[in-house]
Amino acid sequence: MRSLAGVSIVLAALVTIVTPARAADLEAGKRKAEPCAACHGADGNAMIPGTPSLAGQPVYFTHWQLIKFRDGRRKDPQMSPFAKSLTDTDMADLAAYYAAQRPLPRPAPTDPAKVAEGKRLANLHHCASCHRPDLSGQQQVPRLAGQDYDYLLRLLSGFKAKTASDLDGTMTMAAQPLREEEIVALVHYIASLGSQP
Amino acid sequence: MRRMTLTSLTVAFTVVSLLVALAWAQQAAPPSWKQGQPPSMADSTLAPIPQPPAPKAPGEIPVDKIRVPPGFKAELWASGINNARAMTWGDKGTLFVSSRVAGNVYAVVDKGGQREVKVIASGLNLPNGVAFKDGTLYIAEVSKISKMPGIEDKLDSPPAMELVYDTLPKDLPHGWKFLAFGPDGKLYFNIGAPCNICMPPDTHANLSRVNPDGTGFEYVAHGVRNSVGFDWHPVTKQLYFATHARDWLGENEPSDKFDVVTRKGQHFGFPYCHQGDILDPEFGKGHSCKEFVPPLIKTGPHVAGNGVEFYTGSMFPPEYKNRAFLAQRGSWNRSEKVGFRVMMVTLRPGAAPKYEIFAQGWLQGQEIWGRPVYTKQMKDGSLLIADDYAGAIYRISYQR
Repeated sequence: MRSLAGVSIVLAALVTIVTPARAADLEAGKRKAEPCAACHGADGNAMIPGTPSLAGQPVYFTHWQLIKFRDGRRKDPQMSPFAKSLTDTDMADLAAYYAAQRPLPRPAPTDPAKVAEGKRLANLHHCASCHRPDLSGQQQVPRLAGQDYDYLLRLLSGFKAKTASDLDGTMTMAAQPLREEEIVALVHYIASLGSQP
Repeated sequence: MRRMTLTSLTVAFTVVSLLVALAWAQQAAPPSWKQGQPPSMADSTLAPIPQPPAPKAPGEIPVDKIRVPPGFKAELWASGINNARAMTWGDKGTLFVSSRVAGNVYAVVDKGGQREVKVIASGLNLPNGVAFKDGTLYIAEVSKISKMPGIEDKLDSPPAMELVYDTLPKDLPHGWKFLAFGPDGKLYFNIGAPCNICMPPDTHANLSRVNPDGTGFEYVAHGVRNSVGFDWHPVTKQLYFATHARDWLGENEPSDKFDVVTRKGQHFGFPYCHQGDILDPEFGKGHSCKEFVPPLIKTGPHVAGNGVEFYTGSMFPPEYKNRAFLAQRGSWNRSEKVGFRVMMVTLRPGAAPKYEIFAQGWLQGQEIWGRPVYTKQMKDGSLLIADDYAGAIYRISYQR
C-alpha cells in the first residue's frame, strides 16, 4: 500500500514536471508555425516523404530540437537557418502548438514479415523504456508511432553511423548493434503504428 | 543412483548455462539509465528527471521557499541561464557558468546590481567543466579540454577555443566533467564509468589530472563511479570529492559518498563495493570491501551529490570557516524524492565529521521547482548556488 502511494506520488510529480516553464501561447504558436506549414503541414502533419510530422510531439522534444538546430549541434539545410531567428519564447510557443495537434499516420510500406520482425527488435532493444510502450514519446523523447518512413530510416541509420545529433548519447548507443536489415524492419514496425493520441 | 543424480545435475546445469548464455547474446543493452535494473523492477515508473529546455522566468522562481539557517538570507542573483551548472570566477570579476545538455558556456557580468548574461560558447558537447587561471578560461567537454585566453576582455566577441587536451574517452554516459585547478597548478577532472554498473575499462571511473599545457596526464584516484564535484581543503590541501552511487539497488542503498584522497592512486571501490560496506551483487563476488578506501561520509541514497566547496570567506559566522558545502541535485531512482538541497560538512580531528543541512526548499512535498547543483563563494564571502533546473543562480548572505 505504501509503495503504491509512492508510485502515484511519483506519477503526479511527473505530470507537474511536464508543465512548461512559462505559460506557452498556443495562438502565438499557431501564427509562428505558418512558415513551417509548407513542409511540416499546417497542423504539424507533414505530407512530404523524409519530412517528419510534428503533431503530437512532446513539448520538451520539439523545444530541445529547435535549440540544437539553433546552436548547430543538429544540422539541416532548411531548419538550421530558420532556427537561427527563433527566440526561446518562439520555441516554447511552437513546441506547445505542435504538441496540441492530433497526429495522423503517414503512408508506410507494411511488409507483415518485416513489421513482425521490427516489433520483436523493438522489444529486444528496449525502445519502450524511453519512448513508452506505444512509442508515443514523453518529455524530451520523441513520438515515433506513425512517423514518416523515410525520416525514421534516415535518423536511425544516422545514429548507427554516429552522425545524427543525440541529446545524451542514448540513441547512438542503442543503434550500434543494429544491422542494416534490422533498421529497415524496425522502421517498418514503427511507421506502421497507427498514430492515435 | 547418487552418481546418476550428479550427472543429470551437471547436464541440467550445462543446459541452463547455455540457455542463459544464448539469452544474453540476444539481449541488447538497455539505455544506460535503465541498465542494472533487476527484472523484479521492470515495471518501475522511475526515470531520470528531464531537463527543461528553457530557464524559468524570474517571476516563476519561488526564491522565498529556500530555507537557510537563522541570520542567513537567500535571494535570486541571476536568472535566464539555461541549465546553469558549474561556476568559476575570472580575475576581473566575471562569473563563468557552465551547462550540460544546453551545450553553452555563459559569462555573467555584474553591472550596477543588475546581472547581464552573455553566451560565450554554444553547441558544445556537455561542457560541464569550467576553470580559470591567469586570464584564461578552461572548458571541459566530454572528450576534450579547451581554453580561451584573455576572454574577460573579449566577452562580446569571444575568441575561438584552443585545444589543450583531447586524449579522453568519448563515452557520453557520465562523460561530462567537473574541472578545477589543484593547489599544484594542475587541471583536475573526472572520467566517469560509462554505465550505471559495469566493469569499467581501465581508462574510466577515476579522477585524473593534466598540466595546463596538456602534458603529464595521470590518474589520481581509481574506483570512482562518477564524481562531478571536488575541492581541496584550505589547510591540509587534501582532495575531497563527492560520488554518485549506482542505481537500481534499492530505495535506501547504496548511499552516495563524500571521500578524501590521502594518497595518489587509491581505489574507492567501484564497481566492487558500494558505500564502503555493500558488495555489488554481480561485481563484488570474490572481493571484500576492506580492499578499498571507506567513505568519509555516506551522504544518502540517490541524493546526487554534485558540487563540493570549502568555505574560506569571512561573511559567515566563524564556525563556517573551512566547512564544505555539498550541493545535492536530488534523486530520481527512489519513489520518495530526496536531496534537492545544500548540505554542510564540518571536519573534526579525531571525530566523525558533522553533516547537516544548510539550504533546502527546492523540494516541496514530492514536487520540485529547482535543483541545486554547484556552489561558488563570492569575494564578499556570500555563497552562490547554481540551479540547473530553473536556470538560475541564488545568493546566500549573512548578517549578524
